[in-house]
Amino acid sequence: MADEKKFAGYICTGCGIGERLDAGQLETIATRDGKMQSCRQHEMLCSKEGVQTIRDDIANEGVTHIMIAACSRRAKVEAFNFTEVAMSRANLREGVIWVRPDTDENRETTQEMADDYIRMACAEVKFMTQPTGSGEQELNKQILVVGGGITGMTAALETAAAGYPVHIVEKSGVLGGHAGGYYKSIPTRSPYAEPQDTGISQMIADVEANDSITVHLNSTLARTEGAPGRFNAEIATESGSSETLSFGAIIQATGFKLYDPSALPQYAYDKSADVVTNEELEGLVMQADGGPIKRPSDGKAVESVAFVQNVGQNSTEENELPYHSGIGDMIAIKQAMYFKELNGNCDTTILFDNLRTPGAAGEDFYRAGQQKMITFSKGAVTEVVPGSTLEVKFKDLILNDDATMQCDLVVLDVGMMPNTGPDPYAQLAVEEAEDEAEKEKARALLENAPPSILNLEYRQGTDLPHLKYGFTDSHFICFPYETRRTGIYAAGPTRRPMDMRQAADDAAGAAMKAIQAAENAGKGRAAHPRSGDLSFPSFRKEGCTQCKRCTVECPFGAINEDEKRYPIFNEARCRRCGTCMGACPVRVISFENYSVDTVGQQIKNVEVPEEWDEKPRILVLACENDAYPALDQSAMNGVEITQWARVVPVRCLGSISLSWITDSLNNGYDGIVLMGCQKGEDYQCHFVKGSEMGLERMSKVGDTLQTLNLEPERVASYEVAITDIQRAPKLINDMAETVQNIGMSPFKF
Amino acid sequence: MTELNTAMIEQYRNSFLQEVEANVEEGEWVKMCMQCGVCAGSCPLGNAWEHPPQEIFMMIRAGKREAVLSSDSMWMCTSCYNCISRCPRGLPITHIMHGLAHYAQRLGLVPKNQPTQRFAQMFWQNLNKKGRVNELKLGLSLYFMNGFGEGVKTSLKMKDIGLGMLKTKRMAVTEAFGGHGVKDLSGFQKIMKKAHELEDARIQKSGN
Amino acid sequence: MTEVIATNQTILVVGGGISGLTAALEAAETGKQVVLVEKRPFVGGRITQLYKYFPKLCFPTCGLEINQRRAKMNPNLTIISMAEVTEVQGEAGDYSATIKISPRYVNENCTGCGDCTRAVEAEFDNEFNYGLGGMSKRKGAYLPHKMAHPQRYVLDPRIIGTEDADKAKAACKVNAIDLEMQEETLTFKAGAIVWATGWRPYDANKIQPYGYDRFANVITNVEFERMADPQGPTGGKLLRPSDGKEAKHVAFIQCAGSRDHNHLLHCSRICCMATLKQTHFVQDAWGDDGKSTIYYIDIRAIDRFEDFYTRVKNNPNVSFIKSKVASITENSENGNPVLHGVDVESYNRDGNGGYDRYATEYDLVVLAVGMEPSVDKGTFPVDISINEEGFIEPAPENGGVFAAGCASDALDVNRAVQQATGAALRAIQVVNRVAGTEGQ
Repeated sequence: MADEKKFAGYICTGCGIGERLDAGQLETIATRDGKMQSCRQHEMLCSKEGVQTIRDDIANEGVTHIMIAACSRRAKVEAFNFTEVAMSRANLREGVIWVRPDTDENRETTQEMADDYIRMACAEVKFMTQPTGSGEQELNKQILVVGGGITGMTAALETAAAGYPVHIVEKSGVLGGHAGGYYKSIPTRSPYAEPQDTGISQMIADVEANDSITVHLNSTLARTEGAPGRFNAEIATESGSSETLSFGAIIQATGFKLYDPSALPQYAYDKSADVVTNEELEGLVMQADGGPIKRPSDGKAVESVAFVQNVGQNSTEENELPYHSGIGDMIAIKQAMYFKELNGNCDTTILFDNLRTPGAAGEDFYRAGQQKMITFSKGAVTEVVPGSTLEVKFKDLILNDDATMQCDLVVLDVGMMPNTGPDPYAQLAVEEAEDEAEKEKARALLENAPPSILNLEYRQGTDLPHLKYGFTDSHFICFPYETRRTGIYAAGPTRRPMDMRQAADDAAGAAMKAIQAAENAGKGRAAHPRSGDLSFPSFRKEGCTQCKRCTVECPFGAINEDEKRYPIFNEARCRRCGTCMGACPVRVISFENYSVDTVGQQIKNVEVPEEWDEKPRILVLACENDAYPALDQSAMNGVEITQWARVVPVRCLGSISLSWITDSLNNGYDGIVLMGCQKGEDYQCHFVKGSEMGLERMSKVGDTLQTLNLEPERVASYEVAITDIQRAPKLINDMAETVQNIGMSPFKF
Repeated sequence: MTELNTAMIEQYRNSFLQEVEANVEEGEWVKMCMQCGVCAGSCPLGNAWEHPPQEIFMMIRAGKREAVLSSDSMWMCTSCYNCISRCPRGLPITHIMHGLAHYAQRLGLVPKNQPTQRFAQMFWQNLNKKGRVNELKLGLSLYFMNGFGEGVKTSLKMKDIGLGMLKTKRMAVTEAFGGHGVKDLSGFQKIMKKAHELEDARIQKSGN
Repeated sequence: MTEVIATNQTILVVGGGISGLTAALEAAETGKQVVLVEKRPFVGGRITQLYKYFPKLCFPTCGLEINQRRAKMNPNLTIISMAEVTEVQGEAGDYSATIKISPRYVNENCTGCGDCTRAVEAEFDNEFNYGLGGMSKRKGAYLPHKMAHPQRYVLDPRIIGTEDADKAKAACKVNAIDLEMQEETLTFKAGAIVWATGWRPYDANKIQPYGYDRFANVITNVEFERMADPQGPTGGKLLRPSDGKEAKHVAFIQCAGSRDHNHLLHCSRICCMATLKQTHFVQDAWGDDGKSTIYYIDIRAIDRFEDFYTRVKNNPNVSFIKSKVASITENSENGNPVLHGVDVESYNRDGNGGYDRYATEYDLVVLAVGMEPSVDKGTFPVDISINEEGFIEPAPENGGVFAAGCASDALDVNRAVQQATGAALRAIQVVNRVAGTEGQ
């Protein structure tokens, strides 16, 4: 392949490019400096004819590498979609003519800008190959579901219905999970007025009858290794036997546990048998078996019951939950209806703070509860006094009254806590804690970590990373299944608190992602956000120093280490962000379409004028997901960017190799601006830690600058959002001003 | 305390809300209130109420029977229907207020000298006599409600309006003497009697 | 003419908002053929008009960029914009859908250069900014927003037949303007249909006592979102519409149209979090000079996001009043809206008995209007189960039609996307069954 490379350049003269720039000169640059073997101009390259010209060259002339000089790489993507060749794009429209004033005195520098972008694009494509996947991938359609509750069973049924075989691994001896012990569920269908059958028995029957579903009861995962498309999971049974099966993807549906109200003595949970949690009430109702619901202490039929809502939830107190399960009020209404159904005169009071009955179903159910004479009181419960009749003391917030009520039974609305494995980053959290209090908290989390569920043989830990409060939810609002472990999707209350309908929906979503991950792995395609990318990281073993930076810093835990501590990349786990590439101090990691060279050569091929020309060069490395689109949009607004800037889009700030910085400084660049996404708790980096890692590395650039005897202001890094349409160009222009103030770099040769 | 009141307390010991449901016009709506307060906020006479409607509903649910029934709040309602048109749950609040007032009246729990209640009583008696309201008599009895002196004073104050109404034939002096009734007065009286019987039977039934 | 190649293994997605786009992408990235039909000239739906998301306070265009890139790269996905489904016939595995495509007057030659915009003179209220459209006009030839995908201009039908249309055509160097373009009707096959037509903000004019139609300084939450956006009509400054005065004291009225049998019966779920988020806009703009007051019935922060509520509650510049505001009047001297009502948690707070009846002036009032589903029960093209509130029920009798996002319930973005992902799977199940029976 390598000896058959053929390079062709295409220069579009449409959209004003031809009028503003000397296209002939650009063509000369492409062939002379850029070493394109051929170069064509077209007045509208994105037109059918223009695209056909390129297609013909590929088909007839054997062109393997193309350089397109036209608009931004974000524009006309569908037109310039040549999957069979390597392609780079020089951004002459949004990157040059739209950000420079159309005046005679600017003509020269605008042309120079365009010339450089041609050189850069030519250099980039020269070091690219069109990725074709490793060839090692295989399609494994079998999906593993961990957990046999409603979420797990739904996930299994939905997956099987799409034609994919499933194995369910369930720790206990039965399917059904929590919901298996419930009398009825919150209605999931209109008119949302009555509790409905949980449907669990039917679901269990469906699972058992389904030929595509295999159930492993009393089983856990002893060991899971591999990657999407080739997970090998050792399923161990209680009896000690085990078998290893391979899977394309994994769904973790391990559910929840309930908050223990013993920690809150005011509710007398430990003092009275007649104070129960909402889940325990389900047990009492099941026991009653259609007869009167009896209170535990003496078996008296319950004639009055108080539902105390929001117990230990939505709190800032230690040992309470900072969030809310969100469904406690719906459950209370459902359970109050149990009593009303048996005895319309049973006094049922729900003491709430904010009644959380959202959506259409929620509000309907609330009204249905009121219709059935359930009393709703906005009240703050201060104490439950045990006794033969319980006394509930509360502040009635509407009547501003200190009130008490007598009842036979008190039901506590306790919150849901996720059933997750240990957070792989718990140790890191201790190390990174900013103050002692935080460190202490992190240490407690580490020490009280739950046992592993997945037992992943991953360099970065055994289980899915936690997001907040132990949940394995996605950090991304737009991408709820975005996970930090490719091909492993959490669903149900292990992800965030939810009811059965939501859990079922969530299970379907996770099943969707699981089959997609399996299919993608089969084709060697990357998962979100670089969906479909066929490239994968590879490394030059002889250059590797086994420093382990790549294995530690990969935001997705994709890289393992072999016995000699060389990295094993596990391409199907990889998201192609390039953080490993940025981490590698010896520059041995690269992708076929993105490498130290594809960017480094762009930097090197910019023409750096002599110092006395007073034409500084400013390198801008901009994240392609946020900063680069922001610059495009500012170009659409006609915002000027200094003629000295040369912008290179990067996959992630985390992929930036320090060598690019040192090389450009050594080559006489006068300033460098780095733009990544927001880091920190509310990070917006699509590669989770990439931006943070990049910024952290850049903070150490000071040493390099010092060695070179350069001013620290010459390198600036920023967190830039996609909405920074005004700010992003300003940051670049500020650097031009800085350079003007401190003078040109002395390193121009 | 009336006998009926005692009977009702006995009957609905546990739930004032149930008592209201059974005995108050549109009382079955009380449970549907969600305490948003828009009724109180949109009531043009809201300042005059000790307990605005949403509070009365909450008091009913909290079993504050005595406080609700002996309150004069529901007597403040002027039937403007603002609350009804605004209530997000569609509660017929105006009707409930009148229903509560009426029920309190039956139980004998209305505060003494509650002026609206007295006016309502006058209206009712006036109406019952001839099957139609004698406006002149009703007006006069209203003026003289609080004694002869005040009655004369108010009458003099309203003199011009009265003369104007006479002149335009909106009022006839002759109405002060007997006044005319509906065509079939005895028929009307039979209807009223029957209605009373039905109402008593209903309350009696609910009170047992 | 638009061409669509579709079979009964194709998935039709109706609506290209965040839910429809997600369903389409997830299915297409699993190797399925997908046709996405969107009514507006661009995909992304209402999230394109939001400034920030809760609870991260991050930017919707950030995820949109990723989704649009996925869409641009994926050959399995065909997007048809400015189109609506008018008819659906058949059954699961074998549907035939008819769509109506409105003329854009700009063909696929368009490079997005903007020459037409510069040539055209007529200006119109910018619908992208909802009711604040009058504060910043757009041209008769326009790109709806900077990230619009397809990146193709649109000619307002109102300029067709005027000189402006000719000017636009003359200015276009790539022959992209076609003034003869007509409405098209197209029929094609689909095995399964994902219905993701989303929601619209409840019409605030219908809440008569709040005077949205009478008082310039009473706006809706979607409009406030545009106001906070630096790309919006005020350049991101919180300036009230009547006089451009800085809006520092802002009242938020919850359940404006929701939980109300006079308007929307359902709770719209998102408005509490949206308002809690918007108090941040006030805080960010004015610091301690900015004061927000939230009038609410129940605060329904969404489960895991309750910590967001806690944080806002702890902000001394934000106060909460449990009250459904009765009415709004206007102080004619300064244009301030005045809120009237009763605080139902104030009984005897001052020791004088009774409730606080407030009549409080603000610079600006934001109505947290609810989500009205865009599913029209009367004209829905197939027989389907729709509940009283207007949302599509998850009913087996719906056959191969699956609701995604806010067509199924009032949902926040995260849940809508989650739900849409599941809907994509259900559509895949149908077309995979078809593939099975067809031996492919």
